[in-house]
Amino acid sequence: MSRRYDSRTTIFSPDGRLYQVEYALEAISHAGTAIGILAKDGIVLAAERKVTSKLLEQDTSAEKLYILNDNMICAVAGMTADANILINYARQAAQRYLLTYNEDIPCEQLVRRLCDLKQGYTQHGGLRPFGVSFIYAGWDPQRQFQLYLSNPSGNYGGWKATSSGANHASAQSLLKQDYKEDCTLKEACGMAVKVLSKTMDSTKLSSEKIEFATVGQTKDGKIYHKLWSAEEITALLKEHDLAKDETTEERRARHDRREGK
Amino acid sequence: MDTLVARYSRPTYQQNEVFSEQDQQDFTDVVPPLSLKFAMPPVAHPSAWLRAATDDRSNPSCPIKIAHGTTTLAFRFQGGIIVATDSRATAGNWIASQTVKKVIEINSDLLGTMAGGAADCQYWLAWLGMQCRLHELRHKRRISVAAASKILANLVYQYKGMGLSMGTMCAGVTKEEGPALYYIDSDGTRLAGDLFCVGSGQTFAYGVLDAEYRWDLTTEEALELGSRSILAATHRDAYSGGFINLYHVKESGWEKHGFTDTNPVFWKTKLEKGEFSNVTSNFAE
Amino acid sequence: MPEVLLGITGKDFTLIAASKAAMRGATILKAADDKTRQLNKHTLMAFSGEAGDTVQFAEYIQANAQLYSMRNETDLSPSALAHFVRGELASSLRSRKPYNVNLLLGGVDPITHQPSLYWLDYLASLAPVPYAAHGYAQYYCLSLLDKHHQPDITLERGMELLTLCADELKRRLPIDFKGLIVKAVTKDGIKEMPFDNDKVVKGT
Repeated sequence: MSRRYDSRTTIFSPDGRLYQVEYALEAISHAGTAIGILAKDGIVLAAERKVTSKLLEQDTSAEKLYILNDNMICAVAGMTADANILINYARQAAQRYLLTYNEDIPCEQLVRRLCDLKQGYTQHGGLRPFGVSFIYAGWDPQRQFQLYLSNPSGNYGGWKATSSGANHASAQSLLKQDYKEDCTLKEACGMAVKVLSKTMDSTKLSSEKIEFATVGQTKDGKIYHKLWSAEEITALLKEHDLAKDETTEERRARHDRREGK
Repeated sequence: MDTLVARYSRPTYQQNEVFSEQDQQDFTDVVPPLSLKFAMPPVAHPSAWLRAATDDRSNPSCPIKIAHGTTTLAFRFQGGIIVATDSRATAGNWIASQTVKKVIEINSDLLGTMAGGAADCQYWLAWLGMQCRLHELRHKRRISVAAASKILANLVYQYKGMGLSMGTMCAGVTKEEGPALYYIDSDGTRLAGDLFCVGSGQTFAYGVLDAEYRWDLTTEEALELGSRSILAATHRDAYSGGFINLYHVKESGWEKHGFTDTNPVFWKTKLEKGEFSNVTSNFAE
Repeated sequence: MPEVLLGITGKDFTLIAASKAAMRGATILKAADDKTRQLNKHTLMAFSGEAGDTVQFAEYIQANAQLYSMRNETDLSPSALAHFVRGELASSLRSRKPYNVNLLLGGVDPITHQPSLYWLDYLASLAPVPYAAHGYAQYYCLSLLDKHHQPDITLERGMELLTLCADELKRRLPIDFKGLIVKAVTKDGIKEMPFDNDKVVKGT
C-alpha cells in the first residue's frame, strides 16, 4: 500500500504523511548523536564520530561540526554528503548578507534560509529530501546566544538544550533532567560529555570518538567560536573522569619514552 | 570725541567718498597705457589665446597652470581691522609652495591681500605700492584707502576680459577714514565693507567668521577669530593650507601677529577644545 | 546643488534637516516640500539630486526596508540600511540609467541606542560621520560644525547648531531655500522638530 506514496517526495499518503521525509528522519536516527547546550555565557556543541580508525587523519576530517559564519557554527546528524551541500549554501547566504548589509546575518534568518531550501525538497517532485538534521549555535546582537534544531522537513525550533541522531530520545531526557537555567559554559561542557558518555555505545570516550565546539564571549566582549583540538577534548574528558583507560601496552610505551629507551 | 567715534564706527560704505581733484587726476594719470608696457603674444586675440592656454577648468591639460586657490579674510571691528591669510600656492593639483606671503605690506599702514593669480597679485599690488608712494611724494600726505583701492580697481578694469585673475582686499587706517576695508577683483568690482573672505576657501572662512563676528570684539577675540577662520578653510579646502599669516591694522599702523604653521594649531585646537570631531579613528572600519 | 541637506549627531540623537523649496529651473514649485523618508522606526533618510530620481529611489529603499521589517519581525539597523543603500547606488551607477541622488541617512541603533549618521552620494560613496551636509551647504556649514560640534551634545545644542547653520545659509546663499524641515531621531522614534524659519538674518 505504502509503495504508491513513498516513491515520490511530493505526494501525501492517504493518512497525511510524507514517507520520504519520514525515511530521511529515520536515516538520521541512525547517525552519530549530536547535542547542543545553551549556557548563559556561550553554547557547546558535541557530536559522536562514527568513523574511527587509527589511519584517519584527525585534523583534516571534521565530520560533524562546521563553521557557517563568524557568528555561527553547526553540528550535523545524518548524511554528511547532503550536509556539505547545505553548509555550502548557508555559507554563501551568510556572505551575501554580509556583503549587502555589512553585518553578520541574524542567526534565525540563516536557519530559516536553510530550512526554506530543505522545505523545497519536500514539495517539488523528482528529488529526495536532504537527509540531515542540524543543530546550530550562534550569537547575534538582538537575541544573544541561540541554539536551533532543524530537520529534513524544513521545520526548525529554538532550544535551551537539544539533541539529534542515534539515541536522541534518551539524550533528550538526560538533558531535560540535568539542564540548569543560567549554567555556565564550563558546566555545559561537562554536561555535554556526561550525556554523550551515557548515550554512546562505548562506555569510555576518547578524542577520536567525539567532536567538540563552543561559541562564547571573550573578556573584551568579542564573540568567538572554537572547534576543539584532540588535546583539549582529552583534557575535558580527563577532568570529568570519562577518558578511556590506557592499555598496558600504551602505558609501557609511555614509560619507555620517559626512560629514554 | 564722540563725533570722531561715530564717524569711525560707521561702515565705510556709508561714508561719502569724496575724492579731491588731485585724487581724480591720479586715477586717470596713473593707469599705464595698454600694450605699451607689456609684450603681447603675436596672435590675433591675445586674451582668447591666454584663456585657452591657462584655463585648467575647461582644459585640465592646459600648458600654463596659473597659481590659484587661497583663503584670505579681513574684517573691521572696534579695535581696527584684522587681516588673515593662508600661505599655500597651487598650480593645478600641485602644491607649488606652502610659504607664500599673501599679505602685501603696501606701506606702514596699508595692507593688501592676494587671491587668484599669484603673479598678477604680486605685480599689481607692488605697482599699487609704487603709486601710493608717488601719491605721498606728490601730495605730501598719505593716500586714503579709498583712493588706493580705486587706483587698483581702475587699473584692473582696464585689463578686463584679458585674463587677469585677482581677488584682493585693501585694508588701512587713516585719519580721514578711520579703519577702512575694500574688496577689489579682476572683474572690476570694488566694494567697501566690514567683512570679506576671498578665495577658494572663502565659504569655509565665512562660515566660522559670520557666526561669531561682532563689531565690539576685543582685539584678542578678533585675532583668534581671524586665525580660527583661516584654520577652518585650510582644513576643508584642498587649495588652502600652510601657515596662518595674521595682521592687525590700527590707527598707529599695522602690526604683524605671526606666520604660524597650521598643523600644530589644528591638533592643539582639536585636542584641547574637542573641535574637528570628524577627524577620528572611530570611523575606520 | 541649491538643495540643503544637513545632519548632526549627538549624545543620544541624530538630527536631519532638509530645505523646504522644491525647485525646477528658476521656479519654486512648492515651499513646503519634505525631502525625507522614514525607513523604519528609528532610521530617516534625506535626499537631494535629479528631479524624479530622488523620490523614486528613496521610496524604493523605504519599501525594501519595510519589507525586511515585515519578513523578519525586526528592523534593519541604520548601519545595515546605509550599506544596503550604498549597494543599490553602486549597482545603479553602472546601469543604463543611474540614479542621480545624494543622501544623508541617520538614526539610532535599535539595540545599542547609539546614534549614527551616514553621508552617501550618487557615486555610491559611503562615509559614517558625526555631522554632514550636501550641496552648497557643505561649503558654509562644515567649517562651522568643525568648530562648534562636539560628539556628546544634547538635542537642544544640536538644534542651536542647526540654527547657526541656517543663519549662515540665509546670510550667504544667493537663493531662497524656503527654510528647513528638521526631524530628530531618538530611541523613541522620529519626530519633527519646531524650527524658526521666519528669523531674518541681516547680511554684512
